Amino acid sequence: MRRRRWSTRDPLVADLEAAVGAGHVQAGDAAVHLYSRDGSAIGGGRAGVVCLPGTAEEVAACIRVARRHGRAFVPRGAGTGLAGGAVPCDDPVVISTTRMTRILDVDIERRLAWVEPGVVNLDLTRHLAGTGLHFAPDPSSQQSCTLGGNVANNSGGPHCLAYGVTSAHVAAVEVALPDGDLVVLGEEEGDPVGYDLRGAFVGGEGTLGIATRIAVRLTADPPEIATLLLDFPTIETAADTVSAVVASGIVPAAMELMDQRVVRAVEPHANAGYSLDAAAVLIVELDGLPAGVAREVEAVTRIAGAHGADSVRVASDEEERERIWKGRKAAFGAIANIKPSYYLHDTVIPRTRLAEVVAEVNAIADRRGLIVMNVFHAGDGNLHPLLVFDEREPGVLEEVFAAGEEIVRLSLSVGGVLSGEHGIGLEKRQFMPLLFQPADLDAQRVLRDAFDQDGVANPHKVLPTGASCGDVQGMTRLPEGTWV
Amino acid sequence: MIRGDARTGGLLDLRDDALAACVDCGLCLPHCPTYRVTGDERRSPRGRIALMRAVDGGGMEADEEVLESIDTCVLCRGCETACPSVVPFGELMAGTRASLGRTRRPPLRLRIGLAVLVRPRLLRFGSRFLAVLQRLHLLPRRLPLPQRLPLRDPRTPARTEGEVVLFTGCVMDAWQPDVHAAVEAVLEATDTRVRRSGDSAGCCGALHAHAGMDAAARRQAEQVMSALPGSDPVLVDSAGCGAALREFGVLLGTPEAAAFSARVRDVHEWLADRMSSLPVALPGDRPTVIVQDPCHLRHAQGVHADVRTVLAPYADLVELDDEGLCCGAGGAFAVLQPELAGEIRERKSAAISRAATRGRSDLVVSANPGCALHLAAAGHLVRHPLEIVADRLDREGGCVDVG
Repeated sequence: MRRRRWSTRDPLVADLEAAVGAGHVQAGDAAVHLYSRDGSAIGGGRAGVVCLPGTAEEVAACIRVARRHGRAFVPRGAGTGLAGGAVPCDDPVVISTTRMTRILDVDIERRLAWVEPGVVNLDLTRHLAGTGLHFAPDPSSQQSCTLGGNVANNSGGPHCLAYGVTSAHVAAVEVALPDGDLVVLGEEEGDPVGYDLRGAFVGGEGTLGIATRIAVRLTADPPEIATLLLDFPTIETAADTVSAVVASGIVPAAMELMDQRVVRAVEPHANAGYSLDAAAVLIVELDGLPAGVAREVEAVTRIAGAHGADSVRVASDEEERERIWKGRKAAFGAIANIKPSYYLHDTVIPRTRLAEVVAEVNAIADRRGLIVMNVFHAGDGNLHPLLVFDEREPGVLEEVFAAGEEIVRLSLSVGGVLSGEHGIGLEKRQFMPLLFQPADLDAQRVLRDAFDQDGVANPHKVLPTGASCGDVQGMTRLPEGTWV
Repeated sequence: MIRGDARTGGLLDLRDDALAACVDCGLCLPHCPTYRVTGDERRSPRGRIALMRAVDGGGMEADEEVLESIDTCVLCRGCETACPSVVPFGELMAGTRASLGRTRRPPLRLRIGLAVLVRPRLLRFGSRFLAVLQRLHLLPRRLPLPQRLPLRDPRTPARTEGEVVLFTGCVMDAWQPDVHAAVEAVLEATDTRVRRSGDSAGCCGALHAHAGMDAAARRQAEQVMSALPGSDPVLVDSAGCGAALREFGVLLGTPEAAAFSARVRDVHEWLADRMSSLPVALPGDRPTVIVQDPCHLRHAQGVHADVRTVLAPYADLVELDDEGLCCGAGGAFAVLQPELAGEIRERKSAAISRAATRGRSDLVVSANPGCALHLAAAGHLVRHPLEIVADRLDREGGCVDVG
């Protein structure tokens, strides 16, 4: 590929090109425009230069070049994040890992695989087809999102109810630290000796460095899976069923709830067989040994009946199962059938208060003249209210972000937390003081400083940093203070 | 929501609701062949739509970087299948290229090539010339040409009557006449009389539309329609042409064009509804074939399952494990973007190798001439699905039991 015309002018670009090759550095208007956004509705970011390293050493080299030129850096995977974690502030070097897609080693016996950070989540599980193993965390974006991004956000997914989120599936991780060194945190086997720095790194949202190689733990495919589709006349009856199932001692692999608006939006695309008349549809997945699964199917059916379920259907084959899940996982994208834009929230509340909180979320949206669609990981109380809107309508964004804040405050007031799995990013950092005392935030800041003394790794994310992200605020099309 | 007709009125003048439908979720990314091989947001559907928006109404200049992003799209429409918001990406890309095409011209070699396609006699003459060069070993082997271009005019005398029309197109008629003959044989085995669209209908204009040559594409559409009046089904054995004919309604925006498009069926789709009239397979060993889904069958027409239905009585089928990712042929794409097309093909080749290991056969079937030629140029053995069927028909043995 030929050298770009600006490479001779900008020494930063020239140095990055020397580090990763001329074809893998982008500084044109189009690239800067595209890499200033991620999957979130957050605008106003601005990328400086974009580079796509091909190896761990090149990632480290990009960091060193950025630092030499006094620039911060922002790691980026597929850019499917919903909290603005990959939205760059103040012209940093964006380091995209999307070329690092090799699955380096799969050890079936030890149930361990070393992968590069750009490997797509679902590609790993596909690669393992036939081995009897899979990678358990399954975010709804798993067909697109990268494992590096999963590590950064400690991503969850429907099946994390029983299997745990990403941190439980990462044995070790090689990290390009903010000073440009490469280190391995964690151990392939057993607990790490000394402090669990791997545990600290996972969920760091790119503020502690960039994962360059990841040792993931692989999970055995369950011998038997039953996927149940339950229809309910009200959200309340569905929510009560969820609580009752957990209270009965059953730990389903997944429990997912969708309200009627979501069902009506996704069904035409997914043909999942969801009932368009039900007020709420609940997906319950049970897995394990055949006898146990059969008993649990019976128990869940009984509990659902006792709580007023209109119908319970068990998927009869793998194809039906896949269709049921396809609908759930496509839910947040399918809303363009209603309005072209969305703001997807992610808070966690005590499971027992699902019904009342959902009613209140709906009331918040009604008061502001917005449409809200509710889809949640009901099993662990993880709410995903989707506010859908058309940003071409004047004034609608203010309402959307104000409603978002109300939902956050509501969740916290019933004893919930800020984020279930999307991370804090830019989106929720100003809410952190609602959840944490200053001393708690200081303790987190000390951890961050230990990795990144100079604040160059994904700056302005996670922890509130006062006015220092002024450029983003100044350029954003959103009202000041509503989201950063 | 996404069906409104209002235009943006911007530089690209796209349909407003179509452009607004993308929510930037990124679920399309891995289904885009050019993003898959580059990891570059500018080579992704999400990125391309964001650039369309920026150019259309955001004041961004359609500079070289933007044009490269637009020009490197294969138009496979794999992103449409993956998109939960049902963004009509093909429509947006066609509209963008058409708008940009008003101010710039496609490369000369493409214009020459496309001019030849709409002149059937010139195309056949040129093909015979190439055939001679090929026999003399004067053509590089890596060119996306059939292994043995026909030396003589291969056409059988055109029948003027028949209850269905077989659309014969341009390149396929000149280069792969055996495919049309096989398709005809299979159709006639169901007691269907077939007439060919022939020279008067000519080329479907798909490649012109892909290249942003809107006027030429419309001209071809008009020509095809006026050559094929009436209401008989128009059957197509090339996925790319089929997709194009089916979109005449959108391209021309007239009720006549919509009515014409409604007559069009992929030949496999048509046969899948008539399996009980197809003769059973000859006794003996069944061939094992790897089924490659052309994008314009799978993503644009959504009738790839019918290929399996039609093949199943005659062959054992092996599936690829790449979820229908494009092979990189993309009409003229392989010629215009050889580097990207080659990288994309390497992924397809790897998938074919895996399937060949599983199925112990390296015979690939593809219902699109572009894919077939592109894959054959990489050394794969590729045939049209209905060539397999035609070889295996047992005309003495009764009909397929559809049970």
